[in-house]
Formats: sequence, structure tokens, C-alpha cells
Amino acid sequence: MNEQTGWLVDVYAASEGGIVLWLLTEDDQRLHLRIKFPVTFYAAGEFALLRQAWIYLKGKDVKLARATRHDLFLGEREVMAITLPHPSLLPALFADLSRQFPSLDYYDADIPLSLRFIAQTGANLLGKCRVLLDGEMVQSIQPLDSPWEVEPAPLPLRILTLRPDVNPAIRKPKHLHVEYKQKKYSLPLEPTRPFLISLKSDLGRLDPDLIITDFGDTWLFPQLEEWSKECGIEFNPNRDESKEVLKRRADSYFAYGQVVYRGAQAHLFGRWHIDRKNAMSWNEYGLEGAMEQARVTGIGVQEMARKSPGAGITAMQMGTALRNGIMVPVQKQQVEGAKTLIELIRADHGGLIYQPLIGVHGHVAQIDFSSMYPAIMVKHNISPETVGMIDVPEGLIPKTLRPLVEKRLALKNLLLELDPRDCRAEVLRARAAALKWLLVVCFGYLGYKNARFGKIESHEAVTAMSRELMLQAKEVAEDLGFTVLHMYVDCLFVQQEGLECPADFTPLMESIVEKTGIPIALEGVFKWVAFLASKRDKRVPVPNQYFGAFLDGTLKYRGIELRRRDTTAWVRKIQLAVLNILSRANSPEELMDYLPPALAYIESKKRDLRADRVPLEELIVRQKLSRVLDGYKSPSPAARAARQLQSIGREIAPGQSIEFLFTRSGVHAWELGETLDVRRVDIQRYCVLLDRAMQTVLDPCKALCSPVQALL
Amino acid sequence: MGRTVITITQQLTETEGMLSPFRRTLRRSDQYIFDGLFAAARRHIAAIGQAESLLPFETALLAMLLEQAKEIAVLRQELEQLKIKRE
Repeated sequence: MNEQTGWLVDVYAASEGGIVLWLLTEDDQRLHLRIKFPVTFYAAGEFALLRQAWIYLKGKDVKLARATRHDLFLGEREVMAITLPHPSLLPALFADLSRQFPSLDYYDADIPLSLRFIAQTGANLLGKCRVLLDGEMVQSIQPLDSPWEVEPAPLPLRILTLRPDVNPAIRKPKHLHVEYKQKKYSLPLEPTRPFLISLKSDLGRLDPDLIITDFGDTWLFPQLEEWSKECGIEFNPNRDESKEVLKRRADSYFAYGQVVYRGAQAHLFGRWHIDRKNAMSWNEYGLEGAMEQARVTGIGVQEMARKSPGAGITAMQMGTALRNGIMVPVQKQQVEGAKTLIELIRADHGGLIYQPLIGVHGHVAQIDFSSMYPAIMVKHNISPETVGMIDVPEGLIPKTLRPLVEKRLALKNLLLELDPRDCRAEVLRARAAALKWLLVVCFGYLGYKNARFGKIESHEAVTAMSRELMLQAKEVAEDLGFTVLHMYVDCLFVQQEGLECPADFTPLMESIVEKTGIPIALEGVFKWVAFLASKRDKRVPVPNQYFGAFLDGTLKYRGIELRRRDTTAWVRKIQLAVLNILSRANSPEELMDYLPPALAYIESKKRDLRADRVPLEELIVRQKLSRVLDGYKSPSPAARAARQLQSIGREIAPGQSIEFLFTRSGVHAWELGETLDVRRVDIQRYCVLLDRAMQTVLDPCKALCSPVQALL
Repeated sequence: MGRTVITITQQLTETEGMLSPFRRTLRRSDQYIFDGLFAAARRHIAAIGQAESLLPFETALLAMLLEQAKEIAVLRQELEQLKIKRE
């Protein structure tokens, strides 16, 4: 018997039976371990049908038993427990059984294996544990930490970065740039044979735990496989060489009112692969964030980096269910209850959006409820099975969320104490952001039609409560003599003459917390903030579109061109520079003094454009395709650019972002690869785009000036 | 996301659409004032929503009246101040 201590980095089904675990030990070994792991799923329904299923399964390699298990909504249920000796057999058997007996209810049949393992052993993904070994077989496993530790010991990961010299979608790459620790070098991609041999030997020598790539999913790994076949050189990038690279095909799906495109994926075994260009939130919270999500959700890092946080929160709910002996249904069973029209009108509301008072306002405090929706769910015990009931035990959703809310708060508090220059700050911020996204989607999943533990009434209960709390906050503010300028779901903007520094707003904050019982935070005090009017009618205010400067000069802006993905880098840069010029104003009145330099700056930028001094990259417009190309009646510029790409053999799918330039003759798809003559750029069109963005930031300031000045 | 009942914003846009022949027949100068009535209602979308009425346009009319009453109050105040100044 041998004992080892280390971090658990990968869990998956072994082809030869049981589960494979990879342990990164304290003395820098990477251990391939195995553990026996029978898995059970359940079937419930009519007795006669269950009996037939029993007979059908009898000859197969399974153990059958009668059991009573808990369904979240139906309570105790008589079920047939089907236990398989190896987890790798489950998907095929379940597919077969559900095809034969489609009207039975199935439970626990599609739970990710890592979740079962965590629920059963108490060990955590990326967490530390001590294992007792007999050869490579694990005899026992003892967790040494919890996923809720605020500052877990950092994993000593070996990270290898691979990226081609150019985007393979545009041109054929010639080199692969390799980075490991401080070393950087390039491998020529041709001839292929020596390239494969050197990459293979580097991989063997460095033995990385994580391979970070650009275009690894869509180009590098599929290419490596092809080249390996062509040259007859065996090349397996997995640490577990008995496995092949797991490939997932690209797909487009509809979510939150838009079509999303997800590229093909290449997952590894025994080590991780993350393609920065195909990782959903890489720019937002990077590797640290993905690892934090993996730690708390129990879903592997490779999956978490590519998936939406929704998959993570579903996994957490499954984990809570498993730990509490609640069965996880394969399909959602809860439909919306019957309502009268007036009940529906009452219930079917979102958050409170209070139209802002248009114009520039001085000394405005922005107060945010911290994680308002999750806080409501936890405080008021809102869960699909508890909605509408009082004095019932804590529901599944609050039980899942409570530690998450507490951990995020602890991280935020730690960040507040930390010097912003501290090297830990960035990591902590990334982790807090990763947790924030899990919390954000959790609310949506309460009402999502495919969520296992969702029920629309619980979703509505949360928004109803939030509207009530916002109204309470407004009343408290008005009682204390404040003007409420704007409210948006979970934040409010207030102002009172004479109150200028953060401390002036403390009594208001204390009163709001006392009244609502939900924690709040002062986002900051604006020196000035402009709430915008609709471009169609200047008398109509637009919620959540504003820009302003805090007391320390930091800018905050929402809903303006700068925040939109389809704005060109050139326009964005200029809008930001103009806002920076305006941020020097200390009051709305002072804004006028900064209009002339701002206008001069804009003119100089237009001159640069006319004199071809703007790099073409900065003029790229990025737009998403909302449908298949044949579905456009009058094609948008993006669709026209996509057609150009299609004509050179590129595959185009809905949800894909298309990059293009506006030219005098129409559009030019950026990925066509040919260099565009700068003289063909449609300068007029770009000037219009710039003018529109400038109008957004300058119009509110001009409105403050005298009529003569406003003509500027 | 996944709403069954249309929002107040959508409802106002729909009503505005239904009234477009009415608006078209108005003089251009009156059209501007007419649009102003809808702009006034749009400043109170949250309140109209909270009223949970079966006929939200009734509440929207109240919002228009409210804005008008507010404007009258402001004008009256300004008039009073002007009067004081003159005296």
C-alpha cells in the first residue's frame, strides 16, 4: 500500500472499466490512477411497464433492485434501480432502454461522471486529497480541502502555449509559436514530418498539464491528426495514450434571443486543452476563472472553459441533489401552472426599470444591490419546490446558491482590503467574475424551459420580490430627500443637493439595508453623469444608456457604441478618447469647457482617415449572422461579406461573426485574405459611423450650452 | 426572456402603430405634439407595468395627463415668479 497527496485534475470513465483519476502530486508527479466505480440510474412509472423493463434487462450485465427514492416534486417514488459495473456502459444501455420504454421516467441517467464521483467520495475537482493506493488502484480517497476555500493552494501547473503565426481561416500558417515558462521559439510547419517529430518530442519532454492554444479546436488538433496519418508518425497529444482526442462538432444554437455559433472542440485526456479563440469567457476571466468554475461546479476545466455558465449551475444543482438523495430527472417535468389572465398579467413581469431623467446630472451616487437575485432566492427560500409555501426546509436552489453567494462576497471583501497593485488582485478579480456569472445565470435557469429544476413560478417570485425591494429602496431614498434619477433592475442612481462625497450617502445606504435586508454597495459617486435620450425622439428616455465620470476621474459607460461589439475599433478608440477629455470636467457646467478640444480631436481623426493613416484592422466591422445565408431576403452587409467567403469555399453557419470593411462598392470580407487597396475604403460611411458615436456623447453636453454654442 | 404577456413598451408601440392613420391625418405641427404624448407615457413605463391593468393604455393615458399636469404646475410656478419680479 502506498499513500499519495496531491491535486485531482482529471476524472473520466476508463475504457477497461471503472474511472481514471489523474493526480498531480505534491512532489511533482502525474499519477494515472484507477478506481472501481459502479453507477446506478433509476426508472419509474407504471408497474406493468417496469416489470417488462425488468425482464428486458435481466440477461444483461446489470444489477436490478426495487427501491424508494425521492423526487423533488413528487416526493417518495417506487423505482427500479439499475446498477452497472462500469460507468462507460451507461450511455449505451440508457439509450437502448429509453428507446424500448420511452414512457418510463428516468432519473440519474445523464449525470456527468465527475459529479457522481465528487458526490460519492467528497473529493473535489482541482482540490487536494490523500489517496491510498494498491498499484494504480485507489483503495480509499480522503478530501483535504473544500471547493469553498477562499484562497486555495495554487496548482503547480505546467503550461504550454501553442499558436500559429496567422489566423488559419485567413492564410495558411507557416510557423507554430511555442511558449513554455520563459522560453519562446517557433517551429516551421513545413516540411510536416520534422515538424511532427519535434512537436512530439517537445510534448514528451515538457509533459504539460495544460495546452493553451489559438485555434487548437478548429485547426491545430484536427491538422495534427491529418498530418500524423499522412506521414505515418503516431502522434497522440493525450497524456493517457490509450485515449484518442475527443472531438465535438461545431454547432449553432439559439439562446437569449440570438443565434450563437460554437466552433468544433478538441478535448484531451490526462491533460487539458483550452483554445483561447473558442473559450466562451476567456477574455472576461481567463484560466483562473475557468478553474474557479470547475472547482465549484465539479465540471472539468476543458468543459467549463467552453461551456456557458448555465451548464455549470445545472451541474451544481445536480451535485446538491445527489448529496441530498434527490433523484435528477432526465427530462424536465414541471410545466407552468394554470393561471387566469389577470394572474398572468400580475406574474409575468421582469425587473423594475425606471426610466431615467434625460440630461447631465451632477454628483450622483450609484447604489447596487449585491447579487440581488441570488440573495433574494437564498433569503426568501425561493426554489421550484418551495415556491408559494411558508415554513418549509431550505430548497434545492437556495442550498446550492448559499455557499456560492458567500464565497463571492468573501472574495469581494478580500479584494477591497487588498492594495489594487497586489499581484493577487487580478486572480481574485477573475475568480469573483467567474462566480458572478454562475450566479447571474442561476436566476434565468429557474424559468428556463429545459432546466431540470426550474419552474416558471419561482422565476416570477424572484422578479416580483426584486421589484418590491426596488420600490422600498426608492421610498427610503425619497423619505430622506433624495431624487431618484434612474433605477435599473438592481441598481439606483440618486442625487441630493449638497451631498458630494461617498460618506454623504452612508445614512441612505444603511436605511436601505435595514428596510430590505439585502446587502448593497456604493458603486461610486459621479462628478457628472449623462442619461441619454432615444435617437428617434429626444423626449423619450432610454434605460441603462449612460456615461459619466466618478470623483476620481474613472469613466463608466453603458449601452453606448463603445460597449457594442459591432463598433469598429477606430470609432471605439475615438469615443473613449473623447470621454477621457470630458472626464476632466468636475461638474456638468464645466463640460462646456472641454467641448472645443473634443471637437478638435475628432476633426484630427477624420483627417487621419482621409489621409489613409488609419490601419485597415481598426476599420473592421464585426457582425453576427442571424440566419442561414439563403434565409436573407435583402442581405445585410455581414451576409454579403459571408457570401464572398462562401464563394472561396469557406463554410458559413448562423451565429458566426463575420468581419468586413465598408468599401465604395459595398463590403469586403476581411477573411478573404487579399489585401484591400486603401483607396477603396468608403471614407464617407466611416465618417457617418463616427459622427453617430460622437453625437451620443456630445449631444447631452451641447444641450447644456447656450443656443449659439450648441451650433458648434 | 420567455415572457407570455407583451411588455408595456411593446404595447405602447403597438397602440401607436394602430393609431398611425390618425396621426397621419393630423397637421405636421400637431403630429409633433401627438408624439410628445407618447413620449410622456414612455417616461412612466415602470409605473404603468406596476399598475397590472388589463387595459394598460388607460394607465398610459393617466401618465400623459400626469406629465401635462406637471408641465402646468411648472409653468404656473414660473408665472408666479415672473409676477413677483414685475411687482
